[in-house]
Amino acid sequence: MLPVLSIESLRLCYGEHCAVDHLSLEVWPREVFGLLGPNGSGKSSTLSAIVGAHAPAAGHIRVMGHSETDEPLLYRQQIGLVPQDLALYEELTARQNLSFFGKLYGLFGRPLQQRVEEVLDFIQLTDWAERLPRTFSGGMKRRLNLGCALLHRPRLLLLDEPTVGIDIQSREAIFTALRELRASGSALVFTTHHLEEAEQLCDRVGIMDGGRLLASGTVDELSRDYDTLAPGWRLDGPHEPVPSPMKGPRLERVFLELTGRSLRES
Amino acid sequence: MIQPRLVWELARKDLAVFASDRRGMLLCFAVPILLASAFGAIFYQPAEGPGLRPRVHLVVEDDSPLARRIEKQLLESPHLQVSSCLRETARRRLASESSGVVILLPSGFGKAMRLDTASRNGHTPPTLELLHHPSSVIEARCAEGIFTEIALREAAHDLLAPLGLGAARLERPFQVHLESLPSGGALASHAFSHSFCGMTLQYLLFWGMDSGLMLLRERRSGLWRRLRAAPLTRGTLLAGKALATALIALAQIVVTFSFGAVFFGVTINGSWLGFVLIALAAALLASATGLLVAALGGNETRARSISILVILSLSLLGGLWLPAFLLPSWARTLSLALPTTWAARGLEGVVWQGMEWTQAAHCAGMLALFGLGFLVFAWWRLVRADSPHLVSQGG
Repeated sequence: MLPVLSIESLRLCYGEHCAVDHLSLEVWPREVFGLLGPNGSGKSSTLSAIVGAHAPAAGHIRVMGHSETDEPLLYRQQIGLVPQDLALYEELTARQNLSFFGKLYGLFGRPLQQRVEEVLDFIQLTDWAERLPRTFSGGMKRRLNLGCALLHRPRLLLLDEPTVGIDIQSREAIFTALRELRASGSALVFTTHHLEEAEQLCDRVGIMDGGRLLASGTVDELSRDYDTLAPGWRLDGPHEPVPSPMKGPRLERVFLELTGRSLRES
Repeated sequence: MIQPRLVWELARKDLAVFASDRRGMLLCFAVPILLASAFGAIFYQPAEGPGLRPRVHLVVEDDSPLARRIEKQLLESPHLQVSSCLRETARRRLASESSGVVILLPSGFGKAMRLDTASRNGHTPPTLELLHHPSSVIEARCAEGIFTEIALREAAHDLLAPLGLGAARLERPFQVHLESLPSGGALASHAFSHSFCGMTLQYLLFWGMDSGLMLLRERRSGLWRRLRAAPLTRGTLLAGKALATALIALAQIVVTFSFGAVFFGVTINGSWLGFVLIALAAALLASATGLLVAALGGNETRARSISILVILSLSLLGGLWLPAFLLPSWARTLSLALPTTWAARGLEGVVWQGMEWTQAAHCAGMLALFGLGFLVFAWWRLVRADSPHLVSQGG
């Protein structure tokens, strides 16, 4: 079986500074892959490279076997991007936003209308189709932001912190939608700072820091390999376990074990 | 590679976004009309009205018959607006008004000016005092010329009288055929034509700037990331932007000139084909200006400030505010290197100077060359600057 996303030895540099170095990973159909890491770890740069916005200094990226350099339009047709910033036209209605982005992916006429109705239903905004996004709540905007990336049924959906700043109900609605997408055969790659979200949603996660992928696998695998503290203990300072009355999420403990506790400024 | 259907869809989206802000759209069309109407109204003077005659304050301190005859002739001159007054009054008026000329005949002027006296050796001719406001140099020269003609005619009359030719009047021994070329009449009578051409062109540049600022905003938002992630070539994306800007610019030209035609009689005296060519080239320039602003921009505040400075300078030097002939010669030479000069020359040419389409095509071609130059430069800058903008700072 062909991986939906295949990255080999990726290296991304801005002048002298390399934001990503020797990154390799594969994401398979019906898989949700969480890309985790502190600020400046290289997550968003990796997503930018996957959508073709940043040319790699070295390495290869393939989506459904297509390369951005050889077949850019075919390559991009496979991808849906949900940026962290709300990427919506506030002056256009929800339906107009969806129609516009559908057209960019080659949908026109009746198939487009039909697909817009399906997506409106999927993101639960059918009753708000003729309203402007500026009248929406944060959660509704996030759902529309997601919907705009789904019109063309992408094989690979990239989500850059898709649940920033929304309430729990909206987050659950988005997660339900993402699980349905996974069930329909798409592969999802998403970045988040909320580790419990990743633990809840992802089949596998990769933890990045300093532009490198430090570890990847299922939460169970990572917990087995890196969570060395017994339940009921937590780290207080570098490598100093102290008793903890609460059992922290496993992924958070692994994350801190791998990336440390020092603050990141960028 | 350009994807025509997607170019159109991108442009349609921008047009829909533009139309969604009704007030903004209304202002976009109303502002050039208001500016053009105001400028036109300020400078409008009927061709034969008093406005074209320099205003002269005449002070005659000499009681000689010659001086009195000169005064009478000056007061009756169809080429000047003359009013008699005292020296102090004339000086005060000159100081308090923003224009004007004072002709002052001092005491003894008539006697000293008699041609039979003046011809004697060692005679010092009298001095005519000609005072003018700093802004009225040309009017002063005009008044001097008309005074000279009248004074010589009247002095000659005195010279010829002893010869028994007192009844003879010396007139100009030739006729003058006056015609403005390109044909279209005097500038003052076409103040609205000039102002509608100038303000339309100036506002097209401002619209280009606004469009560029919108693109700058979009580039910094997630929208640009999403657009760049779609299966569009960069050419398609930028062509969509340029097309929307150009279409709105064309709509501005049509709306502004329609208003001018209905309310101020601004008509196309020259070639209609020439007008269309100039309008298309001006729309291209507006869209290229938009991309250039977005490409050079940096941040929005800086881009706006620099753009306003550049546009106002281009407008002034290009003759969009005042006719280019009022500029000093070095500025006129410099202005040939500006797109606004060719735009103004072409548009004013076809609107009120009776320009043929071939001459208009030359101006449109020059304008299009500037537009294409801007486009190429903007393209190069945007391609160069694109990647870093697309990377968010999250991690």
